[in-house]
Amino acid sequence: MSLLTVTDLQISIGGVSILRDIDMSVDRGKVLGVVGESGSGKSMTAYSIMRLLPVGSKASGRIELAGKSLFGLSESDMCEVRGRDIGMIFQEPMTALNPLKSIGDQVAETISVHTTISRSEVRRLTLETLTKVGLPPDEFPLSRFPHELSGGQRQRVVIAMAIALQPKLLIADEPTTALDVTTQAQLLILLRRLVDEDGMGLILISHDLAVVANTADNIAVMRDGVVLDTGSVKNIFSDRRHPYTTELLEASTHVPVVNESELESVNPEPVNPKPVNPEPVNNAPLLEVQNLVREYKLPRGGLFKPVRYLRAVDNVSFTINRGENVALVGESGCGKSTLSRAILGLESIQGGAVYLDGQPIVYGAERSLDQYRKMQVVFQDPYGSFNPRHTVARLVAEPLFALEKKLQKPARQQAVANVLERVGLQSSDGSKYIHEFSGGQRQRIAIARALISRPSLIILDEAVSALDVSIRARVLDLLAELSGSFDIAYLFISHDLSVVRAVADRVLVMKDGSIVEQGETDAVFNSPEHPYTKKLIASVPRLAYAV
Amino acid sequence: MLTLLCASVIIFLALEVVPGDPASVMLGVNAQPETVAALKQELGLNVSKPKRYFNWVSGMLAGDFGVSYTYRTPVRDMIADRMVISFPLALYALLLSTLIAFPAGIIAATRRGAVADVSVMGTTQLGIAIPNFWFAMILVSIFAIKLRWFSAGGFPGWEAGFLAGLKALTLPAIALALPQASILARVMRSSLLDTLGEDFIRTARAKGLTAGQALWHHALRNALIPVLTIIGLQFSFLLAGAIIVENVFFLPGLGRLIFQGITQRDLIVVESVVMLLVFAVVMVTFLVDIAYAAVDPRLRRRM
Repeated sequence: MSLLTVTDLQISIGGVSILRDIDMSVDRGKVLGVVGESGSGKSMTAYSIMRLLPVGSKASGRIELAGKSLFGLSESDMCEVRGRDIGMIFQEPMTALNPLKSIGDQVAETISVHTTISRSEVRRLTLETLTKVGLPPDEFPLSRFPHELSGGQRQRVVIAMAIALQPKLLIADEPTTALDVTTQAQLLILLRRLVDEDGMGLILISHDLAVVANTADNIAVMRDGVVLDTGSVKNIFSDRRHPYTTELLEASTHVPVVNESELESVNPEPVNPKPVNPEPVNNAPLLEVQNLVREYKLPRGGLFKPVRYLRAVDNVSFTINRGENVALVGESGCGKSTLSRAILGLESIQGGAVYLDGQPIVYGAERSLDQYRKMQVVFQDPYGSFNPRHTVARLVAEPLFALEKKLQKPARQQAVANVLERVGLQSSDGSKYIHEFSGGQRQRIAIARALISRPSLIILDEAVSALDVSIRARVLDLLAELSGSFDIAYLFISHDLSVVRAVADRVLVMKDGSIVEQGETDAVFNSPEHPYTKKLIASVPRLAYAV
Repeated sequence: MLTLLCASVIIFLALEVVPGDPASVMLGVNAQPETVAALKQELGLNVSKPKRYFNWVSGMLAGDFGVSYTYRTPVRDMIADRMVISFPLALYALLLSTLIAFPAGIIAATRRGAVADVSVMGTTQLGIAIPNFWFAMILVSIFAIKLRWFSAGGFPGWEAGFLAGLKALTLPAIALALPQASILARVMRSSLLDTLGEDFIRTARAKGLTAGQALWHHALRNALIPVLTIIGLQFSFLLAGAIIVENVFFLPGLGRLIFQGITQRDLIVVESVVMLLVFAVVMVTFLVDIAYAAVDPRLRRRM
């Protein structure tokens, strides 16, 4: 008999149907992977098992844990089940812990809420659990607070809270999405080990097919609140029974291909009516970074202690040629975003120089508008990087207000309409507001905004990291096409090595502020030289192994 | 410290530009110029401005606030007399305000959109809108005139006994607390609602805590930070901002002292009281900062 069976589950919130006819089951000691893109209902399924659905939602169907119906339980009985029989792990380790309580207290709370054992016993069990998840007490005393830990360590604390009482079932909702690849690899191994050792059932929810494929025994593929396809990992990938599964699989291993004939048909009409000065043809690199240093002042240890500095970017040199796609990879905190801000001239530098088209980048007000025009940026968060109170046309036209002050209104409107169509939106979308668009569309708008000044270089700071695989694939296609028709160079900043591999000509690997390896993409991926690059590449979950 | 120094310069300069010479005001319009000059000499007003500033500040550091121009009594004694009323009154009002606001805010936040929430929001809206002197007069007409539970005004002095003093301060404290409690309850409610929407509350529920346990053990302390800020601001305000309510209840408090000082050009009194209030505000801010650190471990290292 299965540990957990979900039969015919239906959820509606405020009359809108969210989940329909969900059937799934998990056995002891097995991992069920639930895969789907955002909005597919995978988290909602998890919350209905926990019975922590938002207020105003209606559920019907059956959910049975070890033969006991969960929908039949009263709220107070359900509180007994949560934490003791079912543990749950969440996506955002940064916010999933109470910032005001020590990690020891938070893990101990799970134990003390459900048992009446003595304080010393609770303490012993807490220490034991934290050691089990890789946080031994001599390095990580119970009195630590969440802000003193890294993202991966916090996620270990969350796991410790969930498994402290050795629940029968563990639900992990995107447990590694917010983490670096090497941390992700370690946590997936930990989760698999806990399942194998304690005989727990695990529901692993992820948008990343590769993550699930390497860890799970069975897979359920969801879309729009329905389970489309279920089966063992082997079957589901080899048979490719459902077209959507195939689609997902292809999207996540997508390599953008620029169709030459298509390129010609979309004639690169001038976005900007003013004739662009013909760039002098030269072989000098477009962007040259020489021995760049960026230091931050740390708070003094004491009144008479010397001022200490943190070198976020340490002596970095590289070049980008015209029309070239260069990727900068590294884990969070390695200094890649700081480097991008320094290149953009948004931060002062403490050493070295940056040349754009042979001209040094000037920091501060004396900088020429031309430098601003030539270099644009697209940020990670398509939700946070727009002013919600402006129309899309206004947002996209923003660079023109600063860079092309003489431009008349009709010309500006024409430029906005052109560029919106260029990124695959309607020119009429300009009068809408940003909240009316999906994540992928917003990122297209961000690209349009970067494109409108006809730059030679666009810096893409984790620009596709927040997008679903199928949308990501389409945005990558768009970028490849634009690069072909406008002769734009890209600097891709990403932690996602699979994206990098698909799009970049060259790769720079960054660690602790320095570039440890650089070279042609294929060369770096096929025969990495630096041990860190090797480790990074080995940590990437790969579909090929599982299939 | 620097704050205090800057404040003292600003206060001094601001009051020096006020038209009206204390000596002339004291002696009336028909005074002989020689008499005015003699009085100026006596009050120490004839020396240069920097020197007067220096005398004033050094005097204050030694605990000597100077002598009132009008009453010829040491300013320190005058302030001390008023402080025994204003300080307990502010504390009393703050206590009442907190005692009302916390439960009201918590109830409103946990029953969002329900009758309790709507009525708390409505009442607090009214509490903010009603001017406190009008509310004070209503209180007087009901509790002092109709029911005769409290006296309509005045202060018997703490010598009459602690309870008698407290009783005399009760109506003014209620009048002062109402708008403060209304603001505080709203801050409490919105802060708590924000916190209840945080991920760690969901984590707590997933551990098996009931909604109430999650509120008490996890949400409340996190919601307290903005509330503490408001409490700090309110205390500073209550200490000096009670002028009108003090007038309604004939309480000889600090607010009235400043008011009298200004109308009588008793600059030394005004300067000293304002300086004292600045000091109080700085102290309260400091205490609030300490309270932050007690609540939030993330702020401890920065201290």
